[in-house]
Formats: sequence, C-alpha cells, structure tokens
Amino acid sequence: MSFFGFGAGPEIELILDGEDTRNKVEVKNEDGKIEACPLYFDGETISGQVKTTLRKGSKYEHTGIKVELVGVIEVYYDRGNPDNFLTLHKELARPGDLLQNQLFKFEFPNVEKPYETYTGTNVKLRYFIRVSISKRLSLIVKEKQILVHTLAQYPDVNNSIKMEVGIEDCLHIEFEYNRSKYHLKDVIVGKIYFLLVRIKVKTMELAIIKRETTGTGPNTVNENETIAKFEIMDGAPVRGESIPIRVFLAGYTLTPTFKDVNKKFSVRYYLNLVLVDEEERRYFKQQVEQTLKICLINLYMCA
Amino acid sequence: MPTTPQLGSPPDEQDKLLDEALGIVKMQAFQMKRCLDKGRLMDGLKHASTLLGELRTSMLSPKSYYELYMAVTDELRHLEIYLVDEFQKGRQVSDLYEMVQYAGSIVPRLYLLITVGLVYIKTKPSLSRDVLKDMVEMCRGVQHPLRGLFLRNYLLQCTRNILPDVADTEGSLESEESSTGGTVQDSIDFVLMNFAEMNKLWVRMQHQGHSRDRERREKERQDLRILVGTNLVRLSQLECIDLEKYIKTVLPSILEQVVSCRDAIAQEYLMECIIQVFPDEFHLSTLHSFLRACAELQPNVNVKNIIIALIDRLAAFTQRTKDEGGIISTDLQLFDIFSDQVALIIMSKPDIPSEDIVALQVSLINLANKCYPDKVHYVDKVLGKTTEIFNKFNLERIGQITPVGKELMKLLKIPVDNYDNVLTLLKLENYGNLLDFLDYDGRKALAMYLINNALENETQIGNPEQVDFMLGLISSLIQDQADQPTETPDPEDFAEEQSLLGRFLHLLVSEDPDEQYLILNTARRHLGAGGNRRIPFTLPPVVFAAYQLAFRYYSVKDQDDKWEKKCQKIFQFCHGTISALTKAELAELPLRLFLQGALAISRIPFENQETVAYEFMSQAFSLYEDEISDSKAQLAAITLIVATLEQIGCFGEENHDPLRTNCALAASKLLKKPDQSRAVGTCSHLFWSGKSVASGGEQIKDEKRVLDCLKKGLKIAANQCMDSMVQVQLFVELLNHYLYFKKKGNQLIEATLVNELVEKIKEELPNLENNEESQQISKHFTNTIDHVKSVASIEEHYKDIAV
Amino acid sequence: MLVLVLGDLHIPHRVASLPAKFRKLLSPGRIQHILCTGNLCTRESYDYLKTVAADVHVVRGDFDDNLVYPEQKVVTVGQFRIGLCHGHQIVPWGDPDALAMVQRQLDVDILITGHTHKFEAYEHESKFYINPGSATGAYNPLENRVIPSFVLMDIQSTTVVTYVYQLIDSEVKVERIEYKKS
Repeated sequence: MSFFGFGAGPEIELILDGEDTRNKVEVKNEDGKIEACPLYFDGETISGQVKTTLRKGSKYEHTGIKVELVGVIEVYYDRGNPDNFLTLHKELARPGDLLQNQLFKFEFPNVEKPYETYTGTNVKLRYFIRVSISKRLSLIVKEKQILVHTLAQYPDVNNSIKMEVGIEDCLHIEFEYNRSKYHLKDVIVGKIYFLLVRIKVKTMELAIIKRETTGTGPNTVNENETIAKFEIMDGAPVRGESIPIRVFLAGYTLTPTFKDVNKKFSVRYYLNLVLVDEEERRYFKQQVEQTLKICLINLYMCA
Repeated sequence: MPTTPQLGSPPDEQDKLLDEALGIVKMQAFQMKRCLDKGRLMDGLKHASTLLGELRTSMLSPKSYYELYMAVTDELRHLEIYLVDEFQKGRQVSDLYEMVQYAGSIVPRLYLLITVGLVYIKTKPSLSRDVLKDMVEMCRGVQHPLRGLFLRNYLLQCTRNILPDVADTEGSLESEESSTGGTVQDSIDFVLMNFAEMNKLWVRMQHQGHSRDRERREKERQDLRILVGTNLVRLSQLECIDLEKYIKTVLPSILEQVVSCRDAIAQEYLMECIIQVFPDEFHLSTLHSFLRACAELQPNVNVKNIIIALIDRLAAFTQRTKDEGGIISTDLQLFDIFSDQVALIIMSKPDIPSEDIVALQVSLINLANKCYPDKVHYVDKVLGKTTEIFNKFNLERIGQITPVGKELMKLLKIPVDNYDNVLTLLKLENYGNLLDFLDYDGRKALAMYLINNALENETQIGNPEQVDFMLGLISSLIQDQADQPTETPDPEDFAEEQSLLGRFLHLLVSEDPDEQYLILNTARRHLGAGGNRRIPFTLPPVVFAAYQLAFRYYSVKDQDDKWEKKCQKIFQFCHGTISALTKAELAELPLRLFLQGALAISRIPFENQETVAYEFMSQAFSLYEDEISDSKAQLAAITLIVATLEQIGCFGEENHDPLRTNCALAASKLLKKPDQSRAVGTCSHLFWSGKSVASGGEQIKDEKRVLDCLKKGLKIAANQCMDSMVQVQLFVELLNHYLYFKKKGNQLIEATLVNELVEKIKEELPNLENNEESQQISKHFTNTIDHVKSVASIEEHYKDIAV
Repeated sequence: MLVLVLGDLHIPHRVASLPAKFRKLLSPGRIQHILCTGNLCTRESYDYLKTVAADVHVVRGDFDDNLVYPEQKVVTVGQFRIGLCHGHQIVPWGDPDALAMVQRQLDVDILITGHTHKFEAYEHESKFYINPGSATGAYNPLENRVIPSFVLMDIQSTTVVTYVYQLIDSEVKVERIEYKKS
C-alpha cells in the first residue's frame, strides 16, 4: 500500500506454522472469491513468521512492526461499529530502519477463540491475523483470515422429540424425531403416525428453517431462510399409517446453532412439518414454528 | 407436478400427456447416459432424478401410468448396470446409498434408493437383510395408491433375484449369516410387508373419487391386481419355504392381511391367488385355516368360486397322485374337512345365494368322486346336506332354469355321469328326496338324463326292487304330476319323451324268468298309472317283453315243470295289459297286439293254448267290429287278421271254422266294393295255405272254398264296381290270384276260367282312358302274361292257358 | 351309388336301440339313399335315418302309426326300378309267389319287403327280391332267433351288388350277392 512512489514499501509475507498441513475450509470472501482458510480450534496456539522483502535494495524506515490477532463481529447494517471481541498483538520490531530482508517469528500461545466463524445474511463473525509496518504517513498492512470452529460434544441429555398435534376432527398426528440435537453431518430419523386423517393430504414435507437474529430489544432483526425442503410423503395416508422420516443433514449447508453470540446475534434451526392438501392448503406451518422451536442443530462431532 | 387430484383425464388427453412424459423421459435418459459415459455420476443421478420426476404425475390413468413406468424403469436399468460396474471398480457403495437420499422429492428418491440398494446388495450380499428391510420400510413414504403400487412393484422386481433363500438353520451360525446376509425368513418378512402395504394401497383405490366412477375404478383395480399378486408369486418361488414355514408364518400372515382388508375384490382375488401359486401339498395341510378364513370374508365375496377352485385343484391333485401310484395320507379326511367347512361357511353367510350353496355341494361331490370313488356314502352325505339346507330355506319346486335349479341339475347329474351306472343311485338314500325339489320340467329333464345314461351304458335293471326304485325316480315321465302344466304338451315332444321311456323299459331285464315276470308286473303297475296319453307308448314294450318271456319259459320247459301255467299267466297278464289300452279307447294298437299274442301263443304248445289263442283272436275281431270304422283302416285290419290267422295252426276245426268264416264275412261286408273284392280275394289263402289241428298242421288246400272266394271277388268286381278302371285293375289282380293258386295246384281252377278272364281284360283294356293309371294296369297285365309265358314251359299247371 | 335297405326297427316297442356296431357302420355321408321297409315306429328313428342320408324312403309297417307313409312305393335308382313294401299286407307272409304278384303289379326290377325279420335275397323269374330283416333284431313270434341285419346295395349301371350285414354273436358279418339286370 504505497502512494506515488514514496519509496515503495517492503513486501510482507505472512506464513502460519504448519499452514501446508493444516485443515483448510473454503470460504467465500466479500468480493465473492473462494479462499481456502486454515482451520483453528479454541485454545490452539497460532504461530508463524513474517517475512519482509525490500524493494530495489533500499532501506525502509518505519515506526514499528506488529502482528495482531483479531476476532470481530460485523453487523451489515451497522458496519461502522464492529465488535472486536478479540484483539491480541505482538510487537515484532521497534521503530527503526529495515535494511535488509528480514524474518520475524511470532506466537499467540493457547488463544481463547470463543466463537465460531460465521457468515450469515446480516452478520459476519470472523478471525484474522494482521501484520502492519507503520510509518509516519503510511501503513503497510497484510491480513490473513483464519477459520475457527468450536468443538462440542453430544450433550449428556439428548432426548427424542415426540409430540402430538392436530386440528380437531380433521387431522391428528403424532411425530417423533430421534433426538433434539444433531450434528452437522447427522441424520434426522423419525416417524409420523397418523391418528386421524379427514383431509385429503397430497404431500408432506419436512423443511429446515434457519433463523438468524441480530440486534437486541426493539432493534432485533430476524432473518428466516429455508435451508431444505424435503418431501417425506406422497399421497394421502389413512388412519394408522406411520411414515418414516430420514433426512441426511450432510446434504445441506448448515452451521451450528449460535446462541446470543457476544450479545450480537443468534442462529437457530427449526424443523417444519408441512402438510399440503389437494387444494394446496398448507397445514401446520404456524403450529410447527411455534411449538417446535426445539430442533437445535448444534455442533460438530469432530474427532 | 400437476395439481389436479383426480386420477386420469379423457382418453385423447391421456395420450397427449403420456407422450409428453415419455418425451421427457427419453431426453433425460439420453443425458443421463451421456453423463455416465463421461464418468460424471452425480450429474447422471440428477438426470435420473429428473426423469423419475415424471412418475410423480397424477394425471395418468393406470394403463398410461404403467406404460410410463415401463419406460422409466427400462432406463433405470442403464443406471444399474453402470453402478454395478463402478462398484466392481471399487467405488464406495454406502456413500451413494446415502447420497441418493438427498433428493428432495420422495418418488424419485425412493426409485433411486431401490436402484442403488439393489447394487448395494449385489456388491455386498452380507448387507441384504438390512438393506431390504430399509427399502421396504422407506417405501411407506408413498401413500398414493397408484404411485405406491408401482414403486413397490419396482422394489419387488429389482429384488427378485437377490432375496436370501437359505434355510434359517443354515444361517444361524454367525459367520455364515454374514456371508449370506440373511435367511429365507428375512425374505419372507420383506415380501410379506411389501404385500401388506401394496394390498392396503390397492384397497384404498376403491375409496377414492366419486362414487359414480365406481365401475371404472373397479375395472382399474382389476387391471392392477397382478401387481399385488406378484408378492405371493415371489413367496411361492422361495425354495426354502417348507411346509412348516408355510403353515406357521407365511399363510397366517397372508390370510390375516386378506381378511382384515375387508375388501371383496382383494379377498376374492388373493384367495384364488393363494390357491394358484402355492403347491397342492401345502394346501392339503392348511385346509382348516384356509377355509376358516373363507368364512370370514366379506359378504359379497364369491366364496363359492374360491372353494370350488380349491376343491377342484385338490381333487385333481389327489387323483393325479393316486394315478402315479402315490399315496395321500389316509388320516387326512379331505372330504370331511371340506364338508364341515363348507357347512360352516354357509352358516356364517346368511346372504349366500342358494345357487352358490348348491354349487359348493357340486364341488364337494366332485371331490368325493375324484378322491374317494368307492365311498358312495360321501356323495350321499352331500345330497343329504343339500336336502337339509333346502328344507331349512323352505325351498320347493325349484325351476330348472333358475340359477339354483341349474346348479341342482348339475349336482344331480354328477353321480349319474360319474358312475355311469344308474343303479348306484340306489345307494344314495337322499337322491330321490333331492330330486323332488325340482319342478316338473326339471324332474323330467333329469329323468330323461338318467334314461339316456342307462341306455348308453346298457345298464340292466335286474330285479323288482331296482325297477321300483328307478321307475320311482323317473316317475315324472310315467305318471301325471301334481305340478305339471295344465295344457296338453306338444305332441312331438311328448312322443319323444315317452318313446325314450319305452326304450328304457327294455333294460328291465333279469336272467331269471321268474324274476323277469315280477319285474314286468312291477313295471306294469307303475306304467299302468300313466293315463291314456302315456300307455300307448309304455305298455306295448311290456307286452312284447312278456311275449318273449313266454318263449323263454317254453325254451326251458324241461327244467321248469310249471312252465305251462306260467305261460298262461303271462298271456293273461298280456291280455289284461292290452285291455288297458282298449279301455283307453284305442283300437288298432290293441288289435295288433292281440294278433301278435295269438301268433306267439300259436308257437307255444302249452296246455291251454287253443283257448287262449282263440280268446286273443276273438278280442282282435271284437275290436275290429266294434271299434274300427274307417274303411281304409278296416281293410288294413282285416288283411292283417287274415294274414295272421293264415299263420296259426293251433286251432281245431270248431275254432278255425268260425274264425275263417268270420274273416270271409267281414271281408264281404267292407264298405267299398273294390275293398270287398280284394279282401275276399285275400281270404282265399285261409282256405289254401291255412292250417288247423284237423289238417294235422298241413295246409288245408280246400280247393272249392278257394275258388269260391276268387269267384266272389270277381263277381263283386264285375257286377258291383262302376269305375271301369278299378274294375280292370281288380281283374288283373284276380287273374294273378287265379294263376297263383293254379300254380299251387288247385285243380278246380281251370284254364278256361283263366282264359276267360284274360280275354275279358284284353277286351276292356283298350277302352280305358289312356293315362298313367291305365298304363300301370296295362303293364301289370303284360307282366302277368309275360310271367305265364316265361314259366309255361316248365310249369305244367299253366300249360292250358292261352296267351 | 350306395343304397341302404333296412327296416323293422320296432323301437321302442320291442328293442331299446339299434345295435351300437351298426350305428358305427352307418356313418353319415357315405350313403345316398335309404329304403326303409317300415316299422320305424317313432319319429326319432326316422330322424336318425335322415342323419345317415338325406334321401329316405319309408313305407308303412304294421306298427307304424304314421299315416303319411305309403303302403308301397316305387323308387328309381340308376337303371333300376325298386319296389318297396313292408309285406304284412302280402298274404302269405314272405311267400315268393305272393311277392311276385306285387313285383308284377309294381313293375319293378327289385322288390324289397320286410316283416319277417329274416334276411332274404334271391332272384326269382329274373327279378331280384330282398328282405333286409330287422336292423335291430327285433322279436318276432314266427322267428326263433332273429339276427339283426341290414342290406347295402351298391348299384352300378345294370348291376346291383348286395351286401348283407348281420350281427351274429355280436360280430358283424358281411356277405355279398350280385344281381345283374337282364
């Protein structure tokens, strides 16, 4: 980043230790480019080296070189006000001259990374490492995004979800999902029993709805997105039928459930059971949303 | 996906829709194959999914949907082949089994699941059980009857060659089980579950749409039934289903489903299906449960057809087994089981039509006949049961052409056909009772059937009891019936039926003459009550049989010293029988029978021969005098009497004289002169070749009386016949008589007499009007003259005749 | 030209049916004419003959009630005039001289009569006489043992070959007699 040839600044190369071998996750940049980012977990040390390369062999005077680790939540409609929930920095060099190409090592040992990287409709949570060489009137910066996944384990209590719902004298069903908490590559297995069917059902779908909530109080913004629409039944069952449900979550792009991340946003998932009759009337959408808040989709089951 | 919920659109619309769908299938299939060729499996699957999407339609009739289904599944074969190939190269199967389940639409998803599942099992047989179970379970998601039926049919088709078919015991060891991936029990569970689900879908079709489309819907259901039945076929193809498994698992589950679906179409079809697809040995061992299930079917199910199908099959099987020298376990009381269960079914179904009840009995009898040909009492038991049922229903007078009547006729004909011996019916106590339920026409038709059978098989009815029984059975032909129509029957039909009865009477034959006599008496008793219309047909055979019996006694006269008494008794019997015809105001028939009697008597020299013969002749005369008035009939009768008397030589002069005199007298008293002339001429033979005791059995040869007769005839012709044509004709005829007796040696017939007559004829002939008749007379005369000429040289009696 | 000659069936008065072996022989389609000497007694017997050949001539026997049947009849077959008469009217029964009278009257080459239940075929004064006997072997008081018989005439121009079929001890025996018209 230099202006008018005021002595072109040195090139900065930021290399993380073990970058070649570390797991990478592809993410989409703001400018739409796909980038493979190295993946870190909570408590992991982030270390690496910074390489400065002088141009044309001249010396470069600076007011200091530092490296920072930043975690930030940006709400799109409130860009001016990012929430840096994590900022760590290390000084690599005191003010002085860079006379030759130089190598600086750095390390952020056992960094606590409380949240998972997330890119949503209205909000984005990201981590990056920033190297900066400052001068009186200019600043040379190099940033590198890293990806953070929080690891979790199956909770001890993970009950199945069982519920009876219905419209009086019209439709009465009982459904059951094997768990209330699923991991991202999990399979939802369940069953629907038809206790009473007086409507001409044409089809039944299971929808996965993602709700992203930003802001608080009156400023709360909810964004609903249907992640999946999965037909689980074709035609009209009669009383006594039981219809199997099996949904492979791996087939969809999902994130873990986020609860009130740094008081800035939440992401929740819902299973929505929809029955459509022959006149295209849709049943249960409302009921399901209200009553089936349950279905948290959570966590990775990583080894 | 179209939103119109009802099944099907108008026919031309159908074609259009189908063509469109087929077009899409073709195109998608093309692209799928291209992707597969390039190794782009995921893209290939996407196209497969799209083409499968066409099967989501609700617009097609079952027929069109079937065509579409065929086209689609045909294309899926390519995918299957590709996948098998891929997996053999080492691709992970489980991934794909999961991947295809990402598809959002259920119908394409499940078709893909099955396609991949099939490949999965093929490459990893150890997983058969789990994958099969999973697939059949997942298919529940399609509850639409038509789409569900076809989807499950696809499942059934795909898995037909990979169902585990090893016995449970073989698979019980852990290691072996993992290698086979299941046992026959898993296959049974799989198919039974699929069967139950398909049947439910099929039954559900009945309850969709408007009630006014019911007929069409039922037709469509019938078209689709094979899809459901294929499940049972598949079960029957599993070789490891042994009898025990069939009894304990397979059949109970099927029956449970059939009974509980409470749908008549399904029940009827599936029950017949069971009968058809499983082996007879299985049926034999499960009769009770099968038949019990029959009793539980819907009221409108045609249980009759089901049971009859089963009975017929088992009957054929047992017969076949026997023919092949096999043995059907004797402790299996096939007949009793059926008999009891049929009774149970009838009890449990108050609405069952009577004709169906009888039809069931018909099949029971068939069963008894085929499996236990020697156990007549089984047949009788069925007849008894049927009688009981009729009594309970207060049925009587069942019309032959009503449905019940038709079945009853069938029932009653079976023992006749089966034994080809009507005497077996004697052993069937209930046969007569049951027969009496038929109306007049029915009983008559059956009687004729019995008779025809007896005639064809020449069944001898050989003692009085049998005669009594048989004539009782066919009494509708023999006597007036309380329920017969009041109008006179069609004469031709009546004659036909009575003639048939007449023929039957010749079967009433015993080797023993005494018994034969009793038989004839018994028959006479029955037939005598037949009334004036019947006896002309039925009594003559009895009379002739009696005449023959007399000859039989005569032929055994050396062994039976009472033969003469017996003969007299027989002729008395005949006399009485013929008199019955006289009382029925008949004349010619009894007259002929008396003459026949006289002839018979004349050949049997028993003690009282002459008296009895005279009585018969005088009876004939009385009939002639009192009853026959038609002139033509009179001539015929007197000619016959004369001809008969000419043959009889047993009379002494005191009897013969009045008889022949009477003949001559009667002849001369005929109404028409030409008749008189001819009859008198005929009488001449009585005095020539006639015999009597006085002549010692030799010809009388009374030359004078012969000449008198001829002269009288000539006189009548010459003096009393006005028609010259007739006159000349009579002259020629008499000329022939003259020549006849001349040739026989009657000396009184002189050549001059003959020559005179010849001259007379020659004189008259040219005066006759020339026509066909006169030509005939002329020819007759010429022939006569030619005759004289031709034999004159060798015949000395002719030597003086001038021709 | 095959002409079947038979008569005196007497069904149902004296017998139940025509012998099965005769029935078998009389298959339809082979015979052109049937000359029946009478005593068919029933319509069924006549109908049966009609199934054997379309052209059936019947004269009246003493036990025929059918008044339509004539007493006698002349039928021309090829070059032969054939007279047909039952014979119960011709006294004495079966007497050749008496039959000859009828032959002359009818002016026939062949005279066929029945009634005696005894097969006869003979030439007499260069005329041919046939009595086919009783096809059913019906009882006749004047004949001890009646043998069922019928006659088949094969008429070729001036020749008649007569085959007589007799059921003797339940075997069918055939004899051949030839007659040439002079």
